[in-house]
Amino acid sequence: MDLQSKLNILADAAKYDVSCSSSGSTRKNQSGGVGNAHASGICHSWADDGRCIALLKILFTNQCIYNCAYCVNRITNDIPRATFTPDEVADLTINFYRRNYIEGLFLSSAVYKSPDYTMELLIRTVKKLRYDYAFNGYIHLKAIPGADQKLIEEAGFYVDRMSVNIELPTNAGLQLLAPQKKREAILKPMGYIHSQINQYEAKKSFVPAGQTTQLIVGATQDHDFGILKLSESLYKHFSLKRVYYSAYIPVVNHPNLPSVVTKPPLLREHRLYQADWLLRFYGFHADELLDESRPDFDIDLDPKCDWALRNLHLFPVEVNKADYEMLLRVPGIGVRSALKIVNARRMGSLNYDNLKKMGVVLKRAKHFITCQGKYYGEFGMNNDRLIRQSLLPRQTASLYQPPEAEQLSIFSLLPDIPDRVSSVTGEL
Amino acid sequence: MITYVYDGSFEGLLTAVYEAYYRRQEPDSITMSGDLQENLFMEYVFIETNPEKADKVYNSIRQKISFEALQNVFYVYLSEHEEAALWIYKYLQLGWKIGRDVDKALADERVLRIHNLSRKVSWERHRLLGLIRFKKLQDNIYYAQIEPDYNVIGLVAPHFAERLADQNWIIHDVKRGTAAIYNCLEWIIAEVNGSVPVTLDKEEPVYQNLWKQYFKSIAIQSKINPRLQRSYMPVRYWKHLIEKQR
Repeated sequence: MDLQSKLNILADAAKYDVSCSSSGSTRKNQSGGVGNAHASGICHSWADDGRCIALLKILFTNQCIYNCAYCVNRITNDIPRATFTPDEVADLTINFYRRNYIEGLFLSSAVYKSPDYTMELLIRTVKKLRYDYAFNGYIHLKAIPGADQKLIEEAGFYVDRMSVNIELPTNAGLQLLAPQKKREAILKPMGYIHSQINQYEAKKSFVPAGQTTQLIVGATQDHDFGILKLSESLYKHFSLKRVYYSAYIPVVNHPNLPSVVTKPPLLREHRLYQADWLLRFYGFHADELLDESRPDFDIDLDPKCDWALRNLHLFPVEVNKADYEMLLRVPGIGVRSALKIVNARRMGSLNYDNLKKMGVVLKRAKHFITCQGKYYGEFGMNNDRLIRQSLLPRQTASLYQPPEAEQLSIFSLLPDIPDRVSSVTGEL
Repeated sequence: MITYVYDGSFEGLLTAVYEAYYRRQEPDSITMSGDLQENLFMEYVFIETNPEKADKVYNSIRQKISFEALQNVFYVYLSEHEEAALWIYKYLQLGWKIGRDVDKALADERVLRIHNLSRKVSWERHRLLGLIRFKKLQDNIYYAQIEPDYNVIGLVAPHFAERLADQNWIIHDVKRGTAAIYNCLEWIIAEVNGSVPVTLDKEEPVYQNLWKQYFKSIAIQSKINPRLQRSYMPVRYWKHLIEKQR
């Protein structure tokens, strides 16, 4: 098979992994070599679906011994199969890199022969790049669940980022759709990578850009609350850099899965990303955003607006006095705007017009703030129905596909993750 | 009405700022000699570029205001905005008055417009770090053409000198007739007018095709979103993107 056909098959098979980030590493170019990492990451192109392309994202092979129901590469699926050689991957990476098409390599793989065998192939490839091609650019490597810890350890010294995909948020989902995969086989390497990163933190020699994971949304009946709690505990206990959410795109017909005509829940995915940002940069806790009695996000309203409307007693806040943490909680005010406000008000009191000129988006914020004591919302603070109305987007119907009726409630296994992990790594 | 006229160089601009400050003769506008359209009612002061005076201003910005202010000034200069020089002067006047906190005074128009423009230049620089596409030529030189909105070639060159340290490359701004040229040791900016005849390396079409195919394969068909794509990657950049060529 020629390189072109292999690339088509193995890029196509890798595209459902949503991670694209190339940030977090400061790897330098050593003399005589090619490439370095850019701390904040660089996007090199945007595909027709609007997703950024930073890394050459490919599978080493799509020949898999597993039969996970949700996965297009499962063994019983009749699709064209291909396998790269380490040289082919290295050659493609280098030649794309020298032309500035990419920021580096994202190498994943189906499980070929055995987890160890696959992991060894991946390691051979990244070693070739680092040693034979003197490549110092960004490498994101998948850790293959079930691979020997020694192999994970070896790989960590050659790459910038590692990830193990959890994919299905609950054990029940895993048993239903991927009975050959064990939850422990996923969490164990994550815990191990975390402890190694800590150990080599000073030298930044082990996975300097940290680890990430991905959760599939909409393949199982899991609620947003369970998913968000899981993310929260992953950030807290494993110091993950990112949790990615991937709206499940039906690729196969299976009795346990949404049918192939179901549209991917893109808006739900979007809401989860917004909530994820609230956890990481806005000081929110999952419990503030959702609870058992309302376990899913309002699909029409972003999570911060939703929270603010339920907590109107905290508003309006005076922009010239409110502390930074509270400013961050005002709908429409992001990190950048909050910082601008905090800086600018030191030089003089701010009015509504000042905020506008500074580029603070007031469309939503005006309902929740006062400027020099004056309130600029049209409806007054006690009319939450009208405020809510004005915060709704004009049309969301086309994007959103209503979820099918709930049948199972299967997030009961979530809260015990940290314990499981600590018993595995013994140091959390 | 007084107009200061400088030669278009950064040193020239800083000299104009120096003169404006010490002559106590407020300019109503500061313009590049190339852009000059003579006006009967305008009094012109022609500024002779003076490296010493420019240095004094440069150091004074750094020491009395801040490094950020210096960077803002340089980026706004590179924006080639027709009011750039005057805005810089007004911004520096304020800066020398209030010192390093000047960049916090975001409610002040003089600071705000500098920040907005500086951010646009900085954003285009960052965007180009990703969007530049090199083609390998026959004699082992990697060649890229760009047509940026702002004059950012000198801002992107250091990035590639570090990253692609072991290859010869040329980044050619065909809009401005300048090129950054790197020979595995150092880079310079030279004037390169008109088109440059190039012969591609024989393997070049192979990798271009692989890249185009990759670009196609990586998109998820059920998520196609051209508007989102264009908002990140405006159409004006497509001309030099391999993956957007037929």
